[in-house]
Amino acid sequence: MIGIGTHPDLELLRKRVMHYAVKEFGMTLPEIRFFLLNSDEFMSVLEKGVFPVSPTNIWEGKEVITKRHRVKVGLEPGIYYEVVQCGNPSYAYLNDGNNLVNQASVMAHVCGHAEFSKLNVLQDIEENRTEKVMWLTSQVELAKRFLGDDDYRRYWNAAASITQFTRPMSQYNLGNSVEHDNIIPEEMIVDSTETKPPITYFSSSISELYGEGNAKDIRDRINVEQKRRKQRIEMSRSGYRLKAPCQDVFGFIAEHAPANESERDILSYLYAVNKNSEFIMRTQIMNEGWCMYWESKIMNKLFGEDSVTGLIDYSKTFSGVCAPRPWYRRNPYHLGFVMWKQIEKDFKKGKLSMEYTNEKDVDVKRQWNRPPKQDPIEFMRHLVRTITDFEFIRRYLTDELIEKFHLNRVPIRDAERMGLSQEDVVKHNDEWVWLNPDNIKEQMLDNFTHFHRPRIYVVDHDYNGEGALLLYHRDDNLGILKSNWIEPTMRHISKLWKSPVYLMTYDDDGEGIMASVVKHKFTEEDYPEYPDFEEVRETIRTGLKFI
Amino acid sequence: MPNTPDISSADSEGAFSDFIDSYIGEGIKNIINNIDERGLDIRGDEVVFEVDGICPPTFVYDDAGGEGEGGIGSDPGKLVFSIPFERLMELVAKKLSLPNLKKVGDGKITEVTEHYKSFGSTGVILDKRRTFKRAIKTSIGLGTFNPDEDKYDIMIRRRDRRYKQPLIEEKPKFKAVVFYVGDISYSTWGERLELEKKVVSFIQMWTDYNYGIRNVEHRFVVHDSEAHEVTQDQFYTVDNAGGTEALPAFELCNNIALSEYNPANTNFYLFYFGDGEVFEFDAESIRELLYQDSLRIYNRIGITEVMPSQGSWGSCLVDTIAPVEQGYPDIVRVSKLHEKEKIFATIKRLFGHNSEVPPAGSKEEDENIPF
Repeated sequence: MIGIGTHPDLELLRKRVMHYAVKEFGMTLPEIRFFLLNSDEFMSVLEKGVFPVSPTNIWEGKEVITKRHRVKVGLEPGIYYEVVQCGNPSYAYLNDGNNLVNQASVMAHVCGHAEFSKLNVLQDIEENRTEKVMWLTSQVELAKRFLGDDDYRRYWNAAASITQFTRPMSQYNLGNSVEHDNIIPEEMIVDSTETKPPITYFSSSISELYGEGNAKDIRDRINVEQKRRKQRIEMSRSGYRLKAPCQDVFGFIAEHAPANESERDILSYLYAVNKNSEFIMRTQIMNEGWCMYWESKIMNKLFGEDSVTGLIDYSKTFSGVCAPRPWYRRNPYHLGFVMWKQIEKDFKKGKLSMEYTNEKDVDVKRQWNRPPKQDPIEFMRHLVRTITDFEFIRRYLTDELIEKFHLNRVPIRDAERMGLSQEDVVKHNDEWVWLNPDNIKEQMLDNFTHFHRPRIYVVDHDYNGEGALLLYHRDDNLGILKSNWIEPTMRHISKLWKSPVYLMTYDDDGEGIMASVVKHKFTEEDYPEYPDFEEVRETIRTGLKFI
Repeated sequence: MPNTPDISSADSEGAFSDFIDSYIGEGIKNIINNIDERGLDIRGDEVVFEVDGICPPTFVYDDAGGEGEGGIGSDPGKLVFSIPFERLMELVAKKLSLPNLKKVGDGKITEVTEHYKSFGSTGVILDKRRTFKRAIKTSIGLGTFNPDEDKYDIMIRRRDRRYKQPLIEEKPKFKAVVFYVGDISYSTWGERLELEKKVVSFIQMWTDYNYGIRNVEHRFVVHDSEAHEVTQDQFYTVDNAGGTEALPAFELCNNIALSEYNPANTNFYLFYFGDGEVFEFDAESIRELLYQDSLRIYNRIGITEVMPSQGSWGSCLVDTIAPVEQGYPDIVRVSKLHEKEKIFATIKRLFGHNSEVPPAGSKEEDENIPF
């Protein structure tokens, strides 16, 4: 691993790229540090979550060994172009086997990532992220010595089971779901006229004092006081309480599970390296498209001034990276790039306006060319600052564009596997089938609600009054959980929580199931009370307990 | 970043290899069970395995996949990895508590190896790195190399030269000859053949491991009423010609051992496989031959009864040889291999420590296998 400052040609290219990015195109960039890696180092850095170091762990070892074998036998190419860890500073890693044109394009691409992370509404621009992870790595290495190899490996593996439930950007993240303060805010005290408490203390002698008509008021006051007391008791015991379901399951466990210092270091490290994966999931199309957009602009400048040569080869690589794929395997580089280009084009003609949308005359719309005063790039940056992929697609991906970008074009082999009917197919040839674009946007948007992963929430941290963790699996109509993985996963969570763990889920018939690990024993029982998500939210909001 | 260290996953790869070691240790039974007649998939010094993918369990949908490239919950598929052959056999030995095989011929034949572990001022192979290091030190001392003053001359003087010094090691080299004798008069096909092949494959690996692959000769003999030497392929495919007499096969092995090799520096092994149904006079003749000649020739004689036919007249050969085993347990071992699950019991009987080996076919024999 060497800094590119030691390589005069690369250093010169870096300066030219930064010149165009910052001076010419006004990009807002954090400090970016570029390093050259050989292919082995590249393989490692990818498995370390794009950090230069990581604590020893078998899963990284497995991935590297497997990948090396796959490259060796030709199952996958050993060529890597770039990876970048955004943050301030950002760390970008280049492959020392690439030629100068590729290195220049990678640097230009990295500028796109760095700016996007800095500007985007989700703000993926943590200060000293890489340095923090390096420090956490050293802490975990110490923890490993403290715990011993076996306990360290077991605890790490338990934590690795839930890293995919790291959701700091969810609506139901830690900040929105967990309350820490001893002060009970007024809004938490619900109006007892809406929710009837399970038990009502009623004294006829008190009611006599206030008169018959005041009985309801008294009951309300008692209910409020009961709730306050209940919350105080709960707070005083754990120091926090849930006010909504918490989707950041790993975050919740990392913060609230009883753990010694070494175990806490492992959880903190894994949380730190996994927490920006949600940013990638939620912005990948916009983000990669933004990078391809700026890459093409900067590279045009570099070719124009002869800083690099080989335009034809570069164009081939670019079109390979931006090859279209059907919606269910969408290529974020392609879709993002063509959408940004389309937005720029439409904006320049004034088509992204209310007037254009409201215009009924098709001919007028076709001829529309009313350039706005605002710079299109500024408009595009405004989008970066305010939306993520969901809104990007919802607003700007039309049926015409789905057709134009080949999102509805399916290889014939896939079409056969998907079992499509004649009504779905618009046209076909020997190689492709074109589907009706009507439902495609909807399907793409649906994916942003669950990313085809189970949505799991912490809904109680003191279930049954035994300090048990109660999890809730939300039904997204995506089928049931892989049954033989439920038990080992729950055992792992129980190991982290150090108390019983329960999971509300459902079976093939949609009937509720309560799976649990209590005193190391796994059981699965029918649970007819399986609630829908609204009920779960309401139960927590009103401070009631699940049965 | 204060410095720029190499990025490496070596520690994690090592941790995974250790994990796989224990994984293999636990799964030796499956590995041995899955050996076919070709043996293990050995490439160079490494044994290549394919096992079900392993990854941390998590909550994932039953049809894991969907949009995108899949993730941690996706079907991990098959995992291919390799470990050194020596390491695998160490694990097998540990798991089965197998002692190393006895070796005769110490000091008579030696294997000479050279290791370059030390360095000196004379020699043939120049150690360039050490020489250059010394030359830099000297040049700095002499002032001919001083970048601050723009001096970059490095003088390599004779006394700076460092040579690699060979360390000659003489290791005793052992030689072994293993005879595999098969009774082709019984129906050796289907499961019988499969069981026989697995045990033969294991014996080949085990002797190769103990003596070194190049130092072991594997010879195959079949018999019905006559005995013939065959190739390994023929050993599994040759048809019977009717009749059963095992004595000629034992005699043929003895003849080969004594006429083609020097018994003073050769380790002989004989493993017999058959349904055990031989005539009483034949079994008794074999017993006599063992007492008279074979016990002096072989390090180990293993007689394995493989799946006798239903309604057969009993384990005649094994029962007749059993007293010899009791008298000479370090040399003679008999075993009964009646089902796939007893492959390990058989291997342990054939190679295990005498004190740990329960009687052939006993219940205890099955229970003692450490799995």
